[in-house]
Amino acid sequence: MQAATRPMTIAGRRIPTLREMGAWLVSEVHRTPRGLKIWYALLGVFLAVGGVAALISVPPGWEVMGTSPKFEWGLLIVAYVFFAIITSGLCLSASLGTVFGLERFLPFEKRHAVLALISLITAFLVIALELHYPIRMVFGAMLTPAPTSPMWWMGVFYGTYLVVLIIEVWTLFTNHPVIHKYACTSCAIVAVFAPTTLGAVFGVLAAKPFWYGIFTPIQMVCTALTAGLAILGIVFWAVDRFRLANHGTAKPIAMPSIRLLMAIALVIVSALLIRQMVDALASPQPGMREAAIALISGPLAIQFWGVRVVIGLVVPALLLAMPMTRTPWGLLGTSVTMLVGVFMDRLNFVEAGQIYPRTTQAGTVSYPYAAYTPSPVELGILLFALAFFALAYTLAERYLKMGEGDSHIFWPWPWIKPHHDHEHDGEDDHDHKADGAQVDPLKRLASATPAQEVAL
Amino acid sequence: MTEKLNPADAEPTPTPVVAQPDAVEPAAEAPEAAEAAAVVPADAEPMPAPAMAPADAVLVPLEQLAPAIAAASVSRRAFLGFGLAVAGGVVGAGVLAQYFPVFASAGDEVAPIVPNYNPATKAWTFVVDSASCIGCGLCVVACKEENHVPEPAEYARTWIERHVTTTDGQLYIDSPEAGINGFPKDSTAPGAAGKAVKSSYFQPRLCMQCAEPPCVGVCPVSATYQTEDGIVLVDARRCIGCGYCVTSCPYGARYLTPAGEDTPSDTPGVADKCTWCYHRINKGQKPACVEICPVKSRQFGDANDPADPIAAIVKATNPAPFHPEWGTKPRVLYLGPALEEA
Ligand code: SF4
Ligand code: SF4
Repeated sequence: MQAATRPMTIAGRRIPTLREMGAWLVSEVHRTPRGLKIWYALLGVFLAVGGVAALISVPPGWEVMGTSPKFEWGLLIVAYVFFAIITSGLCLSASLGTVFGLERFLPFEKRHAVLALISLITAFLVIALELHYPIRMVFGAMLTPAPTSPMWWMGVFYGTYLVVLIIEVWTLFTNHPVIHKYACTSCAIVAVFAPTTLGAVFGVLAAKPFWYGIFTPIQMVCTALTAGLAILGIVFWAVDRFRLANHGTAKPIAMPSIRLLMAIALVIVSALLIRQMVDALASPQPGMREAAIALISGPLAIQFWGVRVVIGLVVPALLLAMPMTRTPWGLLGTSVTMLVGVFMDRLNFVEAGQIYPRTTQAGTVSYPYAAYTPSPVELGILLFALAFFALAYTLAERYLKMGEGDSHIFWPWPWIKPHHDHEHDGEDDHDHKADGAQVDPLKRLASATPAQEVAL
Repeated sequence: MTEKLNPADAEPTPTPVVAQPDAVEPAAEAPEAAEAAAVVPADAEPMPAPAMAPADAVLVPLEQLAPAIAAASVSRRAFLGFGLAVAGGVVGAGVLAQYFPVFASAGDEVAPIVPNYNPATKAWTFVVDSASCIGCGLCVVACKEENHVPEPAEYARTWIERHVTTTDGQLYIDSPEAGINGFPKDSTAPGAAGKAVKSSYFQPRLCMQCAEPPCVGVCPVSATYQTEDGIVLVDARRCIGCGYCVTSCPYGARYLTPAGEDTPSDTPGVADKCTWCYHRINKGQKPACVEICPVKSRQFGDANDPADPIAAIVKATNPAPFHPEWGTKPRVLYLGPALEEA
């Protein structure tokens, strides 16, 4: 783009020249606090390393993954599922928030929506690298629909989700309340359907008894909720720690309610996990009991007991229960451990389903267990995805107006007004103004002080 | 973002915007009409004011139009218009499918392979005798040659298993290199070494060409399909390599083709499996593995053809499918100890 004699405009706004952009970039670099620079550098390294892995995985059929005919789905499927359920979980937890009082999560609506969009894009990135022919998938799914395939439905729902989320985020930041309402309603609906079909992708496979059944989609939705809450917990901590927009409401209002939701979610997923293990151990189906034993005392025992149960369930439960960890840092610990638990839960689920093949797979007998070790390329892509997610969120937090938005987000029934609907007053909100465009993002981050560790 | 880049640029720019002559009064209506017309051009005719900017359009400053734009953008018609645009895209894609050979419907590609072949009249039947198989592995060799199956042992369209029951009642299954080089004397299964053998047999394995194949149902892009004569095939031009069918097959008959190998479809990263040598049987030949088997453990034919002995063989020996309780209606029929064990 060259600087023309008359400035170029889009919708009445002048497009800056290259020189201006460069100048802005330089001044921006100068204004970025040291800590943030280190964070960017770290993410940059991760992105570079992961990017190389991603490039290596692009040519179809290169055997750079740890997967094989006897163990066809591995870490990348897990990573896709992880980011996809984070998306749904964010919307679900926000919808659930309405049950406990709409205003609780109000200051964080924009973050909900932006994070959901970022994690969905991350999920799509991962699945594009996992599939050998992602472009074919886009055309194939549209031109030869396969309504018998849960994977097709999953594509339909997550594709719709992407469109609706883009509309939702766009309307949030451009003040289109009516379209926004409908987008939010659609989001709330898709947020349930999408992880359900994702669960059904596994749940319909009679060939894999450990995956088969109605509880798989149910578990997927509940795990999604847990993941969404965990991400929100991390965000609330960051908002409080770095004095980001609306930080005033984070500690007194949002944190207690998210703790409550987290406790409920932990109870639900624990109950579902116990049901799953008991059911598998008692099952006469070949492959069921063996999968459960592989988790309890077999090759998956460490990741089951050590990571899933202790780090993913016991530690967050303790952190939630103990009064002295009812602080932002305690919430961060709860969230991170819960999130690790969710990831491990999905990994265990995918691995246990395939670890005891009922039959020889394409000529390979796996005895007693089929082996799968993630390859460096798969780990690299996971690193890439995590770094992408973190970087995109950091940039959004720094350069978008994350202040309070309209109150009806995620309100599932757009024609019914919630009793405290302030439809158009977002503009007049003082908090909103405070972090408007005029305020230097530096001020928000530079004024960051260590959070007071006060029990709420 | 733009706003941030140019904080000094905050005051409204005098950029003119095209609008209709009477835009000042019914301003709230105008953009709506334009949007509706853009989506459904047919509707544009009865409207008094042309939707597209006419030649005598007056330029209205942006700030005067702002309330109109705000009103219009939240209208239900705009929302409806968006829905119509999406629907239009879907319909367009469907129309495109008719003219886009790669995505033509599944049935199209099978019929023309052999002009004089009528799949509707065929009742292909595959009988495998696990009692007479000697585990020589010639069928595995023949299959790899005939179908360009990738060299490494973990890619096999057909393979031989040895089932050994030791005197302590334990069952050991092995298939060294998918049985392509035959079998050593002792089972290679972990823990079997040194144990006294009570009984053993060889079981040739291949795709069961299930009558109710889960692999077809789960494919998200319909790349896996069933021909009229009941053979399940993969269209390598459509497969996206998701591996869903591989995980869905209870008989472990599928794999994804690796790159850098001589692959059946010359396409790396797509699903592949036994086709009962569809390219041979529709020309009147037998599958390569059937042809080469020295002890006639594999029998194949068309049960509808009175001249074909297969119907008589089925009648005389009464073979049965393997693990019918898995619910896929497998169509390879087995004889011998493999059935008793299952
Ligand atoms: S054996 Fe497997 S690959 Fe063959 S038709 Fe049945 S399900 Fe499909
Ligand atoms: S690997 Fe190919 S044939 Fe198998 S389900 Fe996926 S797209 Fe269909």
